[in-house]
Amino acid sequence: MVCMSSLLKDLRYILLLVQWDLMKIVRRVIFVAMRATWFVIQVVFFGPVIAHMVNARGIGLDVSSYYSFYLLGVYTSILFTITASRAYDIAEEFEEGIIEYQLSLPMNRKILALGRAIGSGIASTLFTLPMFLTVIILAKEFDLLAIVISIVSALIFSIAISGFVLTTTLSIKSSDATDIIMGVLDAILVRLSTIFYPAVILKNIAPYYYAAIINPLSHLADLLRIFYSFEEFREIVIANPEAMASYILGLFIGFTVLAMYVIEKKIEGGGWR
Amino acid sequence: MSEKAVEIINLVKRFGNFVAVDDISLTIYGGEIFGLLGPNGSGKTTTLLTIATVYKPTSGDVRVYGYSVVSDGDKVRKMVGIAFQESKALGIDKPYDLLLWHAKVVGYSGEEARKVVKDVMEDLGLWEHRNKYFYQLSGGTRKKVEIAKVLIQKPKVAIFDEPTAQVDVVSKHYLWDKIRELKEEGSTIIIATNDMFEAERMCERIAIMYKGKVKAVGTIKELKDLVPLGDTIELELASYADQHVLDMLSRFGKVQGLGNKVIIYVNRGEEVAVDIIDVLRRSGVKVARIMVKEPSLDDVFFYIAGAKLKEEIS
Ligand SMILES: Nc1ncnc2c1ncn2[C@@H]1O[C@H](COP(=O)(O)OP(=O)(O)O)[C@@H](O)[C@H]1O
Ligand SMILES: [Mg+2]
Repeated sequence: MVCMSSLLKDLRYILLLVQWDLMKIVRRVIFVAMRATWFVIQVVFFGPVIAHMVNARGIGLDVSSYYSFYLLGVYTSILFTITASRAYDIAEEFEEGIIEYQLSLPMNRKILALGRAIGSGIASTLFTLPMFLTVIILAKEFDLLAIVISIVSALIFSIAISGFVLTTTLSIKSSDATDIIMGVLDAILVRLSTIFYPAVILKNIAPYYYAAIINPLSHLADLLRIFYSFEEFREIVIANPEAMASYILGLFIGFTVLAMYVIEKKIEGGGWR
Repeated sequence: MSEKAVEIINLVKRFGNFVAVDDISLTIYGGEIFGLLGPNGSGKTTTLLTIATVYKPTSGDVRVYGYSVVSDGDKVRKMVGIAFQESKALGIDKPYDLLLWHAKVVGYSGEEARKVVKDVMEDLGLWEHRNKYFYQLSGGTRKKVEIAKVLIQKPKVAIFDEPTAQVDVVSKHYLWDKIRELKEEGSTIIIATNDMFEAERMCERIAIMYKGKVKAVGTIKELKDLVPLGDTIELELASYADQHVLDMLSRFGKVQGLGNKVIIYVNRGEEVAVDIIDVLRRSGVKVARIMVKEPSLDDVFFYIAGAKLKEEIS
């Protein structure tokens, strides 16, 4: 009974922490609008052009298939970028003392970490929902089950990345270093992945290929692709669906546990540079 | 006195090589209003944030009702609430949203939370500001939002870090009353301040901090008695105070005479004053007026921190 009620309390804390992040996204409409605009330009204008160019080189996909391939790649990259940009929010919260405030609240630090990671993941995924719907419409794929599973996968991926972002930002305690790390990660991870090029092509360049294999973005992008056009993409993705799903789940568990451990044991107020 | 609410045991806090809190030990008892008094940079905030588990001790420990901030942080956090020195909010936050969220986190259900937040906000004159952004609020109003958090929370140990800095005089007295009410309802109160008047008005016991160390602890009376010859007795005689009278009074302490006025610097002024009147009456000197003055907390502070501090400040 005692155990049950403390579990319920922890669940309530997590919901409140999720609410914290949701309260903030409402106020970042401009940021969302900018991202969404960039996204629409990318997929409506550049997408078809790139699809033709890539097809000309002959990957074994027709133009419309590559376009779907491309759409889910761009979606993955924007989900990653938006989740990684939570680092700036967390940095801002540290500078404004919000982190110190939350460290003083009557809740377990592991719960604090978990709640913030989940909240940040949900907020980021919600941000990208309009873009995801755009993708569905442009790809002309309306499989409800696929849509639901995709959003859940995106959410799990985003929570994992949030756990990582939370851990690094709070550990390095520096706005400048946060800027650099997140910028570099974003640039490298989006490029060294299957976001724009199928794994079959990357196989020709070994270092690129191995980087793409360990890159979580490849796994999410290719997993989403599989959900929509199973047979067609099966031959060209980076791994089998079970492996990709396990990878993302592993990432989720690994990074949330890391955030919980680091925030409980290492993080304290003060010392922001 | 009652049980130990907060026990600070050989607490040291370093930031890099800088020692912000330098091996302090203090005991704060349940139900008292305890003050940490000291100039800027003396380590008050660092000490308070360590009690609230926001900072981790470099060495030493703090126990809150027996639970260690090092090993039992969760239990400590359930008992402690803090109003920070700097308000903790983003520009995009609104006081009502923030306080409602806070109320829920500290255990109120939705309905109760809305009620208690409205009550406290109205009480502190914050209701009209409820939907403004933080960047639109004055320093004093932000401070009130910080204090509102703790008044809503009613923690067992309530910490206020310079609660009335930037607050206008009228509100100041009101906030002091509110903090006293919180004590009446059973909270132990810890206040950090560099305002002698606030310390004197609010605190039952005070620790004087300077450069990371606790220089003295006690009730205000005890601290004032520390100053040697700190009390002054001012006499106004019916006639000119001649050398004979001054000599007679000099056995009580250092004496200054001017016209029919005499000032004598003594210890324990109230007791000595009786003797002085007695001596003067027996030698036929008429006293028109007598006044006993205690040292101010400033005097205590300067005495304890030493003349060096006086130079630094002036
Ligand atoms: N996070 C921090 N990093 C480095 N130095 C700090 C930090 N917090 C406080 N200090 C330093 O420690 C000293 C004590 O600060 P503080 O506890 O805020 O004093 P007070 O509250 O009495 O004004 C100051 O010299 C301050 O500059
Ligand atoms: Mg301070």
